[in-house]
Order: sequence, then C-alpha cells, then structure tokens
Amino acid sequence: MAAPRLLLGFLVVLACFSETCFAAISFSSLRRTLVVTASHPQRLLKAGEDKIIVTWGLNQTFPAGTDSAYKTIKVQLCYAPISQVDRAWRKTVDNLSKDKTCQFKIVKGPYTTTNQTSEWTIERDVPTATYFVRAYALDAKDNEVAYGQNTDAKKTTNLFEIQAITGRHVSLDIASVCFSAFSIVALMGFFLAEKRKGSKAQQ
Amino acid sequence: MSDIEGSPGSSMHGVTGRELTFALSVASPIVPTDTTANFDLPVDSEHKAKVFKLFSFANPHMRTFHLSWISFFTCFVSTFAAAPLVPIIRDNLNLKKQDIGNAGVASVSGSIFSRLVMGAVCDLLGPRYGCAFLIMLSAPTVFSMSFVKDAGGYIAVRFMIGFSLATFVSCQYWMSTMFNSKIIGLVNGTAAGWGNMGGGATQLIMPLVYDIIRRVGATPFTAWRIAFFIPGWLHIIMGILVLTLGQDLPDGNLSSLQKKGNVAKDKFGKVLWYAVTNYRTWVFVLLYGYSMGVELSTDNVIAEYFYDRFNLKLHTAGIIAATFGMANLVARPFGGYASDKAAQLFGMRGRLWVLWILQTAGGAFCIWLGRANSLPIAILAMILFSIGAQAACGATFGIIPFISRRSLGIISGLTGAGGNFGSGLTQLIFFSTSRFSTAAGLTWMGVMIVACTLPVSLVHFPQWGSMFLPPSKDITMSTEEHYYSSEWNEDEKKKGMHSASLKFAENSRSERGKRVASTPTPPNTTPTHV
Repeated sequence: MAAPRLLLGFLVVLACFSETCFAAISFSSLRRTLVVTASHPQRLLKAGEDKIIVTWGLNQTFPAGTDSAYKTIKVQLCYAPISQVDRAWRKTVDNLSKDKTCQFKIVKGPYTTTNQTSEWTIERDVPTATYFVRAYALDAKDNEVAYGQNTDAKKTTNLFEIQAITGRHVSLDIASVCFSAFSIVALMGFFLAEKRKGSKAQQ
Repeated sequence: MSDIEGSPGSSMHGVTGRELTFALSVASPIVPTDTTANFDLPVDSEHKAKVFKLFSFANPHMRTFHLSWISFFTCFVSTFAAAPLVPIIRDNLNLKKQDIGNAGVASVSGSIFSRLVMGAVCDLLGPRYGCAFLIMLSAPTVFSMSFVKDAGGYIAVRFMIGFSLATFVSCQYWMSTMFNSKIIGLVNGTAAGWGNMGGGATQLIMPLVYDIIRRVGATPFTAWRIAFFIPGWLHIIMGILVLTLGQDLPDGNLSSLQKKGNVAKDKFGKVLWYAVTNYRTWVFVLLYGYSMGVELSTDNVIAEYFYDRFNLKLHTAGIIAATFGMANLVARPFGGYASDKAAQLFGMRGRLWVLWILQTAGGAFCIWLGRANSLPIAILAMILFSIGAQAACGATFGIIPFISRRSLGIISGLTGAGGNFGSGLTQLIFFSTSRFSTAAGLTWMGVMIVACTLPVSLVHFPQWGSMFLPPSKDITMSTEEHYYSSEWNEDEKKKGMHSASLKFAENSRSERGKRVASTPTPPNTTPTHV
C-alpha cells in the first residue's frame, strides 16, 4: 500500500530537518586558554542602540604552541544563571551540541596570535536578560577546542544587563484600534439596520 | 407523525433496528419529505434537510453548515495562534515557564463560561447573531495582542480570545435548526471535528505568516504582533459573511421559531437535576477532559516542544505540530464510525469498549511521545496519539445521546465544559512548572489519560449492560422504556410529557446489537390494526 511507504518517506525527510549528530563535545573537556574582556557603558544597555567592545586573545601564561590547532574564533553572547531560572530553553548542559547557554553570535572570524577587538551593536532580537561574553576557539573541523569568557567560572562577575526593544509601534497600535472599532461598528450597524427593517415590516 | 396508537407513522414496521447513528441521509417514509417545499435538498415537515451533501453550498442548509464550521475553525485558529510563536513571544515578553503554562490554561478556561452563556444568547437572538456577535466582538481581543508588553497582559489577552470558542455552541445549535435529527449526529460531528482542525491549521499558518513578515523586513519582536492581524481579519471577514449570507432558519424567519408553541417547555431545574444525578454524566465529563482536554493542551505545547527538544526551525516545528490538529479531519469522524460499527455487532457494550480502547491507546502513545528521543519516533508517536485522542472524542459523542433523553442538552454542555476543564487542569499540573520538563509532562499526561479512562468500565445501562457486565435479567428493568421514562415522575407521565422519551426508547433498541431480533416486543407499542 502507498500509505505506509509515504509515511516512512515523510519521516525520513523530516529527519533531515533535525540536527545531525556530532561526536559529543563536552564543555568540561575544553581548556580555558583565552582571555576575554567586554567593555560597555556602566548602566542598563539597550538593544539596537548600545555597543559592546569585545577583546580576546590567548592567555600568555600558557606555553607557546597551545594555540596551534586554533583556526577560528567564535564570540557569543551568553545567558547568566539568573536568566536561566524557570527557562529550560536556555539551559546549560555539558554536551555542547545540546547546550543552550549562548544563543547570540557577536562575531566569528579567523584566529590570530595577536589580541583582537570587535565593536558590536546589540541586535534588536536580543531579549531582556543578564549576560556575559564567551569566546570559543574552533579547529579546522569547526569543533570547539578551547574557550574564554569575561566572567569567572561560577558566572557571577562582570555580568551586564540588556533591555530588549518592546516590539510595539505606534502605527501598529493605531491599526489595531481602527480594525477593532470597524468590527464593532459593522456588527452594530447590521444589527440596528435589520431591527429597523423588521419593525418597518411589522407596521 | 402522530402519537396515537395505530395511526400512520407510529408503527415500527420496516424498521430493522440497524439504522446508523451517523447516517448520511434519512429515507422516506421514516421521515416524510415535504414535497411542497422548494429547496435544493429534500426536507422534512419543518424544512430541515434530510440529506447531508458535503460539497454543496446551496442556500440555506449546506451554506449554513459551511459558514458555521468555518466560523468555529476561525476561533480555534485565533485561540491557539500564540502557541507556535511562543519561542519568539517568550523572549519578547521575558516569560518564565509558569507564565507560558498559565497563558495556556487561560486560553481554554474562558470558554467554559462563555459556552454556558452562548446557549442563552442563541435562544434570544438566534444562532446567526449569536455566532456573529461572538466572532466580531472577539476580533478586538485578537488585535490587542499588539499592545501586550508583559506576562500579565499576555495571559489576559489569551483568556479573552479563548471566549470565542463558544462558537461551538452556536455551530451545533445552528446545525440543529437546519438538519433533521436523524442525521444531526454526523452533521454535528463533522462540523465539530473540522472546527477543531483550526488548532492544527494555526500551527502552520502563524509561523508562515511570521516568516513572510520577517522577510519583508520587520524585527522578530514586531513581526509576531503583526502576524496576529491575520486571525483578527479572519474574525471580521467571517462575521460579515455570517451576517450577509446566513439565516437562522430554513425559511429565513427568526420570529416564527420563537412563536412555536407546540414545543413543550421543560423546567430547567428538572432537566438540570436529571443531568447531575445521573452518575454517567460525571464519568463522561471526566473522560472528555482526557480526550478533548488533552487535545487542546497538546495544541498549546507541542510546537514549542518540538522546537526546543529537537532544535528545529520555527516553521518546521509548526508543520509537525499542525499534523496533530489536522488529524481531526478524519480521526474524529472515524471514532464515531467505529462506535457505530461496534454498536451494530455488540450494541452499547461495543461502544463502551471502542471508547476505552481508543482513549487508552491514545494515552499509551502519549507516554511514548514523551519518552521518544529521536525525531521520527516522536512524530510517529504524536500522530498515533492524535488519532487515539480525537477518535475517542468522536466515540464519546456516539454514547452521550443515550445517557439521557430529557437532559441531552445539558449533558452535552457539561461534557464540553469538562473537556476545557481537563485541558486547563493538565496544563496547570504538567506544563506550568519547572518541576517537569515538557517531555516528562507529556509522559505523565499519558499516564493520567490511561488512569482517567478506567472509569468508563463503571458505566452500566440496565438494558444494555456495561463493559464487563451483561444487561439486567429483570423483565422491567431491562427495557429501554423503563430507563428513559424513569426521568419523569408520575405527574409528568400522566400529562404525557414523556412521549418523546418513549419514542426515543423504541428507536434506541438498536443499541442491543445483534440481539434486537430476539427482543420481546414491549406491550402497548404494536398497533391494534395494521
């Protein structure tokens, strides 16, 4: 019959939309060899307006050659523990392919032995939360091999808060009111018109 | 048709007792056709259609059917419109898991009350205005999503949008003014099932609309607000179509319905009493909470679940979530059909077993869904769960008409309310706390479904039996007449108020299954002159 075969085909196609399985890289296996700093205005930061200046580089206390495998650097904006409470979609897990701590990319580029800086304007889809900055060093196969972050191991220092945009617009509010009013007026109009027709017919 | 013994139309001659509850048409002379009427479909003496012609839009019967189910569908679309967009909304409004869960509970709670009020509104204004009033007055609530800025506002708006689910009542009421009672089962079941599909369609529509708006250039936190204009416009369009194209009655005249004096008015207090004192009512209120209720809960959580658990894109999660609700197209009618087939062979006992099997299977597949770790298995489990739960909904309404003849309306209403209540309860327990992950929540919901379906084994009809017990051996108690006339006291029986119940009792003898032929003919029903 066609039906079971179709179902199977559908399921196979859908399987392609899910993430492919990697050999699981765990966060605890990475070495913290990078030094990362983030500088920003010392107040509540606004998405879409304020800028963060991120600097990263190899920690010079490590012997030369530690960074021989590093090919790319990926700098990300990550949720602090307080913003992960009661929000399982931001959970930290050791398996990096399932980890949801860092969901926003600040910059991704080739690794150089000298320190690098990047200025990033906070994107307009960043939600209201408390954050820190983390950089991953990737090898030629795009697997994480090392990391660095601007906060301590317990993620308690150097955190900063970002305020999201509301997403509301005056034009949207006005359109909303107009259509709502139209709906009510149209309904009342029909009702009264039919009532008048009915009482006229009865006369 | 007359009540007088021996007069034409009162004998059971020619009736085999195997007529389907879900018949597609009623043949004459079971219900005589009014040949003076000039309609597209054959009609009875009240000008209600005797035939259900699905792909016709003929005025007024089939046009009413389509206006009615599409209005109900639209309200399902707007009530569950937020669900597939929750991954975006939760970031915009800084929601916690409790907020998302509470909003889900709120979305199904409002209609518990609005459905009760809707019955009265339809009585006063007619189903056409009942439907139009609700759908056009709830359009502003859909548009007000553009003002929401925190969890409180979000929950309040979802609560208000949820009121629109009372279009279920106007839909069923309107169908009963247009279609003969012998085919009303299938008509109402189809309308309800296709309306419920809106909960699935919205999971496709909203992410698609959101995607298009984003491509045009809006940021995510604005795009989802604009997306809500689509269900809002649908409300207005359907409201205007109902007002311009619809009519209350086949003859188009509402006032004549109100003038009909020959429908004996029953006392509300009595009707309510016989509904609440019948234990079967409460078993089915509980059961429907775990077929329809879990369907509504799943509509609210499934898209977010697939998005988070399997790292899918928003519209991919939406497509998968949509297949859950869209299965209503065939699954709910299938449940009714399976119930009817079982009744043909095994009578009411067959109906009860079919309901138990379908609903328990649904629960088992829900457990599997929560435990599935790979995407293809999760999808398979979800599809099987949807078929089980939705077919169980159809099978439930294969049994409800037989619980009581006098209080059918209230029992149907209570059962429907039980569905929404069960939905609110499961969302509150399993999906509003961080105690359970959504996967664990689904698993435990499945366990609860299996447990709460067991009470169906307690439902016993003296004349037909129950899942494990045969019918009563007592001569008087084992008749349908005894069961249905026990809802009337001696005074009422003297006034002849129970005559409709007696007629129903005769017709319900088909619930004996294959034993109909061997039934002793009850006294006083065979005419003296044939």
